Amino acid sequence: MSSAEIRITAEPVDNHRCKFVVSQPLHAAGVRRFASAAEAKGSPLAEAIFAIPAGGVTEVIVSGNIVTVVKDNPAPWQAVGKGVGAAIRAAAASGAPAVAAKAAPAAGAPASIDDDTLYERVARLFDDQVNPMVARHGGRVELIDVQDAVVMLRMGGGCQGCGMADVTLRQGIEGMLAQHIPEVRGIVDITDHTSGANPYFQASKK
Amino acid sequence: MPRLLLLLPTTTYRTAAFVDAARRIGADLTVASEQPSALEAANPAGLLTLDFQHPDRAADQAHDFARRSPIDAVVGVDDDTAVVAATVAERLRLKGNSVHAAEGARDKHRQRELLAEHGVAAPRFALHLLDEDPNEIARSVVYPCVLKPLRLSASRGVIRADDPAAFVAAHARLKAILGPCDAAFLVEDFVPGYEVALEGLLVNRRLHVLAIFDKPDPLDGPFFEETIYVTPSRAPAGLQKTIAECAERATRALGLVEGPVHAELRYNERGPWLIELAARPIGGRCSAVLRFGEGVTLEELILRHALGMPIPSLVREKAAAGVMMIPIPGAGVLREVRGVAEAKAVPLVEDVQITAHPGERLVPFPEGSRYPGFIFARGETPSAVEAALRESHRRLTFTLDAA
Repeated sequence: MSSAEIRITAEPVDNHRCKFVVSQPLHAAGVRRFASAAEAKGSPLAEAIFAIPAGGVTEVIVSGNIVTVVKDNPAPWQAVGKGVGAAIRAAAASGAPAVAAKAAPAAGAPASIDDDTLYERVARLFDDQVNPMVARHGGRVELIDVQDAVVMLRMGGGCQGCGMADVTLRQGIEGMLAQHIPEVRGIVDITDHTSGANPYFQASKK
Repeated sequence: MPRLLLLLPTTTYRTAAFVDAARRIGADLTVASEQPSALEAANPAGLLTLDFQHPDRAADQAHDFARRSPIDAVVGVDDDTAVVAATVAERLRLKGNSVHAAEGARDKHRQRELLAEHGVAAPRFALHLLDEDPNEIARSVVYPCVLKPLRLSASRGVIRADDPAAFVAAHARLKAILGPCDAAFLVEDFVPGYEVALEGLLVNRRLHVLAIFDKPDPLDGPFFEETIYVTPSRAPAGLQKTIAECAERATRALGLVEGPVHAELRYNERGPWLIELAARPIGGRCSAVLRFGEGVTLEELILRHALGMPIPSLVREKAAAGVMMIPIPGAGVLREVRGVAEAKAVPLVEDVQITAHPGERLVPFPEGSRYPGFIFARGETPSAVEAALRESHRRLTFTLDAA
């Protein structure tokens, strides 16, 4: 697929966070999160996004066909979004991996936060509490990864595209994580909500 | 931290914008909806179910809740929850509109009665029962006229009729749209002219005009599907002043004193006419075009005002901004939308949001009212923004299958 044929849909979450849904996968092997330009070294897509002039990018998360970009400046997504789009097209056209595989921690290396342990605890919370509850609305919440104590999740079924997905995420899941696993530092929803074919609650105009 | 009770219907587009705003201002947030959240049991202080259909019962429920988790402000986000918010505010003695005023804004007939009593320029109107003989009504009205439901929003069910035959046909169509609970409808004069929308915030009875939007596409019927909103208005400053004065007189007539106001007005050689006024902010995702001061959103202004927090600025940014509610492309089941990337690539276009999902049944006006998406643009002039919205829309292709 040439870069011209790649379709990218931007879904701003707010003025600081935007998901870019790409028509082809960029990183099939799980999730990579980059919290700085230094961390992005060796991953061409993330490097290019951090290098967007005056972009103020602070975080890049790549999972499958979704690139989530976080920035700290108040500028609208228009200018930064075009740079992200160009970076995605360039990475896809190059044929090289857009992001490098996650390096295994060195043996015996100290870790301030043990993501593997957190992953297990979050997964258990999702299995035991979150998913049985959202299943009543035909939904499910999938834990994708935990990186640097940030939980990456994807919503499916009735939650995908649901008008109240933000409420479920922020008033529900976030609160449960804060209560049960306070070490979690944040949540990133990497769901492509525009593709939700059967949302439990459907938004309408007024 | 102050606790905010936010009344969010499960069908609103405004969830993310209001939840984000609550977070930004550091409020403890309780989200109330008319149906239970899947996770309500896990966060009983943050999630609540209220009976939005029965505001008094909702107020009882909120009162019980407030004993456990005291509430500092209550905010509704649409027509129905504005009435619920007023009822809850009265019960809990919080800042807000009276129930009487909120109901006056919600009920289009009551609203017109109050506007007429207070001399606000508005279309002449008459209330009719749905069961009346439409042929008889058709003989008595002045044409062109507009048939209008009392409580539907987004121009759903609003139909212009130019003669008795069109009136009878429109009546049949409206009757099919309205449910068994609707016994009446309005017939009002069609007011020719140019339409604008006014976004405002009432602070202690004073209306602060936040934006006046031009609606450059003519809204002459027979149906009234909205498309483009662009601000600032290109109307002369003196005319904008009279538009704002007309809207403020309407808020006084209804007795509204606090919170967001969204008004639709027309103007012609006789001046501005108040067509509709609602005690809520602009609908859909359209509020995304509004920014104040250093990037403060409309939702943040509303929540700050409700909680009595300082408001940094009520002055909209200098740039022109606009939104297109993407016209419903026809009746059918949405198969796909092509050209989104191309539509986003139009200079000045900030975003194209397709909110309809594949497999969704699209229903044109007047039976339907759910737009398949929104296009947002920002630029130096209203004309440039309007042109960008039109060009972006031109690049979209909707493919529908027969329903």
